[in-house]
Amino acid sequence: MNRFAFLTLYRSLTRHRLYAALNIGGLAVGIAVFLVLGLYVRFETSYETWLPHHDQVYIVQTVVNMPDSPVNGAYPNTMGGLLEEMKADFPGLTGTRINGVGATVLRGGIGTAEDLAWVDAQFFEVMDLPMVQGDGARALADPSNVLIDANMARKYFGSTDAIGQTLTLNIGAGTAPYRVAGIFAPLPRNTDLKFTMLTRIPNGAPKGNEDWWYHWSSTSVNTYLRFPNPAAAKAFAARMPAFVVRHGATDLGADADKMMQLTLLPLTDLHLTPAGRDMASMRQTIITLGVVGALTMLIAIVNYVNLATARAGLRAREVAMRKVLGASRSMLVRQFTGEAILTTALAALVALALAELGLPLVNAAAGLALSIPYATVVPALLVLSIVVGIGAGLYPAVLLSRFPAAAVLASARSPGGGRTGARLREMLVVFQFALATAFITGTLVLVAQTRHLRQADLGFARDGLIVVKSMAGLSEGQQGTMREAIASLPIIRAVGIADSAAGGFGNNNDNNIEIPGRPGYGPSLREIVVGRGFFATYGARVIAGRVFDNQHGADDSYGTKSKDNRAIVINRTAVGVLGFRSAQEAVGKTLGKGHPRTIIGVVDDMRFFSPHVPMEATYYTYWSHDVGAPVLTARYAGRMDAAMDAVRDTWRKIAPEVPFDAAPANQELAKLFEDDDHAANLFTIGSVLAVLIGCIGLWGLASFNTSRRVKEIGIRKALGASSRDVVKLLVGQFLRPVLIANVIAWPLAWVAMRQWLAGFSDRIALSPLYFVAATLLALAIAVLTVIAQSLRAARATPAWALHHE
Amino acid sequence: MIRLENIQRRYVSDEVETTALADIDLDVAAGEFVAIMGPSGCGKSTLLNTLGTVDRPTAGRYLFGDRDLVALNEAELARFRAMTLGFVFQSFNLIDELTIAENVELGLIYRKDAGGDRKGRVAAAMDRVGISHRARHYPHQLSGGQQQRAAIARAIVGKPKLILADEPTGNLDSENGQQVMDILTSLNADGATIIMVTHSPSHADIARRRIDMLDGRIVASLARAI
Repeated sequence: MNRFAFLTLYRSLTRHRLYAALNIGGLAVGIAVFLVLGLYVRFETSYETWLPHHDQVYIVQTVVNMPDSPVNGAYPNTMGGLLEEMKADFPGLTGTRINGVGATVLRGGIGTAEDLAWVDAQFFEVMDLPMVQGDGARALADPSNVLIDANMARKYFGSTDAIGQTLTLNIGAGTAPYRVAGIFAPLPRNTDLKFTMLTRIPNGAPKGNEDWWYHWSSTSVNTYLRFPNPAAAKAFAARMPAFVVRHGATDLGADADKMMQLTLLPLTDLHLTPAGRDMASMRQTIITLGVVGALTMLIAIVNYVNLATARAGLRAREVAMRKVLGASRSMLVRQFTGEAILTTALAALVALALAELGLPLVNAAAGLALSIPYATVVPALLVLSIVVGIGAGLYPAVLLSRFPAAAVLASARSPGGGRTGARLREMLVVFQFALATAFITGTLVLVAQTRHLRQADLGFARDGLIVVKSMAGLSEGQQGTMREAIASLPIIRAVGIADSAAGGFGNNNDNNIEIPGRPGYGPSLREIVVGRGFFATYGARVIAGRVFDNQHGADDSYGTKSKDNRAIVINRTAVGVLGFRSAQEAVGKTLGKGHPRTIIGVVDDMRFFSPHVPMEATYYTYWSHDVGAPVLTARYAGRMDAAMDAVRDTWRKIAPEVPFDAAPANQELAKLFEDDDHAANLFTIGSVLAVLIGCIGLWGLASFNTSRRVKEIGIRKALGASSRDVVKLLVGQFLRPVLIANVIAWPLAWVAMRQWLAGFSDRIALSPLYFVAATLLALAIAVLTVIAQSLRAARATPAWALHHE
Repeated sequence: MIRLENIQRRYVSDEVETTALADIDLDVAAGEFVAIMGPSGCGKSTLLNTLGTVDRPTAGRYLFGDRDLVALNEAELARFRAMTLGFVFQSFNLIDELTIAENVELGLIYRKDAGGDRKGRVAAAMDRVGISHRARHYPHQLSGGQQQRAAIARAIVGKPKLILADEPTGNLDSENGQQVMDILTSLNADGATIIMVTHSPSHADIARRRIDMLDGRIVASLARAI
């Protein structure tokens, strides 16, 4: 490009300011969306990549494959003692367990809960955490040492210079002093590891875990292994079935390797791999958002091509003159491609500014903390400018350079790209609007589904409930005292204890219930142990029979043996699973051969767990006191914060040494689809901007077409066309591509949204209304975009128009 | 049929006020063939546009029959043009994206009474000017003379009472120009009123009356002896 080429570009941009603003602005928004969503994808796919030699680390997955079990699936957890048994069979194996047990830090009689994890002595050989102070591996040699992260050091000791200090910790059983022997850097955000303190895991089963620490099919810790290369990992995985048979036969039976497999998952794949029954794929969400970003930029590039080719004709005279003066075609192609690259670079610069301004908004909407890594982004944008510049500039450049000089100079008229040019532009508009309409449809479905999740009938009233999760920290005697004290608060209406609560905490027990007269183990049902007041607190709807009642002494299963007959209440889903035709038929029946259970009532399904997990067939048993892994739920009347304060005060009076942990139930439930909410917000932002860019393109094209048709409009008016006829003509011209676009958009959106909804057990139906609404919306947007110019063109006096060249 | 009284047309730009038409008084009877002549910039085209209601006078009265056209709104003028007028331009003004037949049909589609036999009327109009064989072609595929004949077909397809021609032969060679004049003469013989702007004295002589303009005024009006 020579000096004059720069000059013509500069003048062409400043002379046609609106055109320049549309062109650069549209492209900038497109690049900004791509950039922000790209950062998001990069963040979500970067989990654990910050760890040194992360590519050599694998997590052991337990794949459960039991007959008729709803828990079948792959879980990133293993039996507590698995690593010990592995090391016995495979000496030289490098591995560590991470068991996030949590700890209470005691200071002045007040307890504070912290994320403490038990790890093996080899931990630092597997996960080489960056240290701020001390030697991590040496620190773990002594089980009375604790490693804390820099934030903890500042919190408890005022600085990171805390080596040698003492922390009094209660880790599950008993309080003891620990010596701070190492300070590690706080974990970054892109990790699923969750700890701020580390101590050595006890040798053998920890106190209170003896029953299941070495019980195959239990899952309680994460086990990580490190291999020098993928081949070694593969070889190790191949030896797992024999290992499972060798060690698991006692618990799992002779065909242990059929019931359960152990597999290796690369550590970096962990974040995007759904666990167990989870139907939603995080990976799919990431891909979708990445595609939205790329398509939005593509729409913006299409705009550029569209506007550039549309306007190519206006520069025909310049091209002809350059040719007359001796410019070759390749010189012209270079000039116009160069212009496109420069324009794109300018747009990229604006995009960077837009992204920087927009990031706080996006972060807030999606619960992220993204920032722009300039060292990576600036070179990437440079490459992008060149690639997009060539991609978007080449066609207009070739088109422009092809104009025959003599014909252009001899005629008063400028070539407009001809019929092929017009057809191409229409196709590009179809393409843009197809994507835009698909995005609108997607957004409507997304918004409807997230709204549904927020409002769906869960089988209980989600408002007015407080879930107290820290009950498990209380001693057996304190549980009852706490329950009575909270129940007697004036703001509290009802209190119930169970080993589950809205939001899904506590125990996770599934049992097979044999059905008389049917072969096999029978279907597997979730067991929830409840205490007094549970059903009343949740307001469970009784469909048949009755719920537990202290008046019926036989209801109480506390202290009974598993082979004793226990009274159970089942949920609606269990009625069908257990083979009953109706809830009424189920009441009074006794199931389970060796472990008899008598159904006394049926309640409606209550959804405590993620909407991504199918509703489980469930049975409830009643313990009059000391429920294991208890969670307390309280129903209050009045203000949430007042109720929370009252409960907290009561707690602090009775058990100040146990950290209080409670939250409103609706908040806990919202956490279950927080990721969906965030993804939906990102998708909506992307879609709205994509539609906006599409509109900019349509507007630019309409403005070009209208100005090109000024004369035609004059002729038509001279022939008697009214302003209305002209508006109809101009608007109609754009409705055709928009309508064709819808035909393409519908199946696209249908396939995509059906796929997405399939990830929810509790989902809305994919009604045609969403598609019709999106089409109407797209049409309205298109009409609004072009109507103003059409009106202006239609109102111009024909005499002026006829002299317009 | 037509009476202009004190018609004025002034253009106001930022600093200059230009008077394109000053105190024009003109009567044209039904069936006349009027030629308007004068140097460039004298107001010929402005007068023609005013007659064609595509430009509005700044002052004065324009009576067509007994209707005062100055009082009509845009929509009424559009209907008036559709029903009453036919335009022929120097630069043809055919629409590039439409075929010749479609361009000719354009002269009918804004008339509410065009009725069912549109195709027949279009064919007849094209036949009359001798371009039927070019019906499916696009304007750029035709010679200038053929394009102008197509434009005349578009002007006459609605059987207008008044045909306004703005230098219809200006872009044509003498042979094609003569053909166009022959068509206009025969249309006039069939009863159409024609007002034509021209630079060609010989073509002006074909008209029955010749009006000379200078600086926005009519300076002479000469009827040809028949």
